[in-house]
Amino acid sequence: MHFNSVAFLIFLPVVIILYYLIPHRFRWLLLLASSYFFYGFWKIEFLTLIVFSTVIDYSLSRRIALLEPGLKKKALLITSITANLGVLFLFKYLVLFLPSIEMMHLNVFAAQNPMQGELLHVLYYSIPVGISFYTFQTMSYTIDVYFGRVKPADHLGKFAVFVSFFPQLVAGPIERYAHLNPQLKARHIPTYENFSNAFRLMLYGFFVKVCIADNLAPMVDQVFAAPGSFSNWNVIAGTVGFGFQIYADFAGYTLIAQGAALCLGINLMDNFKTPYLSRSISEFWKRWHISLSTWFRDYLYIPLGGNRVAISRWSLNIFIVFVLSGFWHGANWTFLIWGGIHGLIYLLERIVGRYINWSGSASSFIRSLAGVKTFFFVTVAWVFFRIDKLEDAEIIFREALFGNGKELLSLSPPIVVLITLFLISDIWLYNKRFDRAISRWPMAARWLLYASLLFAILTLGGHINHPFIYFQF
Amino acid sequence: MTANWKNIARKTGIRMILLTFIVLLSSVVYERFLWKRDLEKEAPMLLDLIEMQDTARIIYFGESSNFSFNPEKDSLTDRISDFISYYYPEIPFGTLNHSAYHAGIYKPVIRSIPESSSIETVIVTLNLRTLDQAAIHSELETALQKMAVMYEPRPPLLNRILMTLNQYDDKSYVERDREMWEQWTYDTLRSDEVDFPYPTIRKWCEATKFPLPDGTEDMAKRELADHYIKAYAFFINENNPRISDLDDIVEICNDKGLNLVFHLLSENIEFADSLVGDNLVWLIKRNRDYLTERYSKKGVLVVDNLTTVPGWDFTDQNWTTEHYGEFGRQLVARNVADSLRKWYPDAYVSQRIIRSSTPD
Repeated sequence: MHFNSVAFLIFLPVVIILYYLIPHRFRWLLLLASSYFFYGFWKIEFLTLIVFSTVIDYSLSRRIALLEPGLKKKALLITSITANLGVLFLFKYLVLFLPSIEMMHLNVFAAQNPMQGELLHVLYYSIPVGISFYTFQTMSYTIDVYFGRVKPADHLGKFAVFVSFFPQLVAGPIERYAHLNPQLKARHIPTYENFSNAFRLMLYGFFVKVCIADNLAPMVDQVFAAPGSFSNWNVIAGTVGFGFQIYADFAGYTLIAQGAALCLGINLMDNFKTPYLSRSISEFWKRWHISLSTWFRDYLYIPLGGNRVAISRWSLNIFIVFVLSGFWHGANWTFLIWGGIHGLIYLLERIVGRYINWSGSASSFIRSLAGVKTFFFVTVAWVFFRIDKLEDAEIIFREALFGNGKELLSLSPPIVVLITLFLISDIWLYNKRFDRAISRWPMAARWLLYASLLFAILTLGGHINHPFIYFQF
Repeated sequence: MTANWKNIARKTGIRMILLTFIVLLSSVVYERFLWKRDLEKEAPMLLDLIEMQDTARIIYFGESSNFSFNPEKDSLTDRISDFISYYYPEIPFGTLNHSAYHAGIYKPVIRSIPESSSIETVIVTLNLRTLDQAAIHSELETALQKMAVMYEPRPPLLNRILMTLNQYDDKSYVERDREMWEQWTYDTLRSDEVDFPYPTIRKWCEATKFPLPDGTEDMAKRELADHYIKAYAFFINENNPRISDLDDIVEICNDKGLNLVFHLLSENIEFADSLVGDNLVWLIKRNRDYLTERYSKKGVLVVDNLTTVPGWDFTDQNWTTEHYGEFGRQLVARNVADSLRKWYPDAYVSQRIIRSSTPD
């Protein structure tokens, strides 16, 4: 079920009402049923994968917790990780090692061999939605149990809610057990403050998704489909547009997820903090997809030795972490390169940072310059994220430099106004969250803003069907 | 109800009233200032309808077949609907045209004709190929279904938000393509009437070969034959989604008191026969008979132009399009115009058919 669908707009209020009406002891059951319903709305078959991950991690973690440190305990952890990554590999990465098959040929084959055809279709064209998100979430739980950071779950059903909690199931934030589970267990009472903040978050989330991301999408699609048709400035606009499209798309999703969870009394972690105002790649990753970057920090970077190793080893660790975080996004070398670019720039910044100070104490001019530099590299890297084939990168960069096509990108004036307002609001929201930031406004000003946002959503939302970009991961 | 709930209900109630007011105001502003801009992009036929609904008495719903696609060869480039209108010079005639549209899209437009409209008669182009699997599962369908949302006679703002929320059949190209292949492979070519020699489209395509003297095969011809089989080899029945669209159109027109004409377009049967053979021609004619019989029984005036246009006058000689030269367009127009005499006998003015082009 998509957040931006009529089904969700009916589903959420029903769940909220039932949640507060039924006794606390049955709420986990309602959340589980509604989360599975939410997920099964896409493809009910894929629920088996969530159930598989849930059962494996639940049962193994309980055994892990009983064992003293040693080989057996480690073996169980490795079994859990292998099972989770195995599912991920099978459904997401195996395709890298298979010959490329055109969809038409696959359909011809599938028509004759339904079983194998179904499997190949999943591998090539319909990866289970959100598989990387919930897999990483359950893996973090088992690892935390292994290191004794959390106690193992004592109820399979309630653990299943942690794995599948619908607001953040398909595109995060990737929550930690220690943060989410106590909230899922707590007895929440409905409060006006929660509903009010949830409304604000969802309203702004919908605005950002349907008015910004979905209106930028056709322009970006045009440029990436035929960069040669446009002038270099248009190609650059399309590339920069993608940076804002993906930000608005993903941040919009997160805001709606946070709002939906807050209606149930649950606070999900922040996933974005105005990332394009970062002055370095290192800062960017503290502000972009925070739940993923902290996951890699806690479960990969630190176990690899963190910064307590020799500089050469540390550099390698950094590079590995970035490349793998790129690879997390999908089975395409383009994601690897995207991660690699970030890793490389991160390392370069560290080296250059020894000679140039662009942090807090630097002049505002230097800091602005550093921001522009970071935005430039992030935008260049986005090209690799957006393209389907590596060869396309060369075309995009060439056309961005020398393109002299005649076609012109167009955005209607109201959309240009909306995008401008979004950029201004993003700067204003630096280190602030929308719901809290406007809570101090006078009521009239707040309602004027609500009315404007609602009007924009109702009348100016993009209308080419673009599912949330991060669903595919 | 606890005090907490009461407090929430009270505060929320006031705000819900405010939000409702904002939505209603948005609706007024949208309809006044933004709706037409959206229609231009997403539902242009509705704009045309609005323009002619108070003047036109006959409306022709057409797709690409309405036009001339060979302006160099055609001395007349008038549309089929123009030719029809010449037979009724005194009757205001309107054309609503959009490439690739089919009954499923005409349906909400017809539903949008207001009760107070001057429109009396609706002519709906009926293209046989819009009932085949390739058309039903076409990649264009998602875009068309989105347009259909905007055509529905509902408050404009509601249509707009339903479009934003993708409240239509928005299957991906992959899904549609797959359904198409499954039907070609599994849907049996049979009906109660006949035991057809080929069980499925796929088997038929496989059995259709074009050997060359050197032992190889004429692959170009085979691909073309494949295309023709896929385009025409199907048994229309009640389960076909276009049939339910056409049934709905009949019902809507009955409710609105509109005269309804289904204009069945010509197909290049001569070429289909020479390429694939009489089994395909039999199927095309069988489907024609199904449609004419079904809708004649429902009181629709069905104009059967299936074999009206001679093979040589099709613009695309080697492809399944319903694009005719000036001669063909005039012929089919004459038949439609003749049928309209049922309702407008005194307004009919005979026209001469001009034939500047000849078989090559």
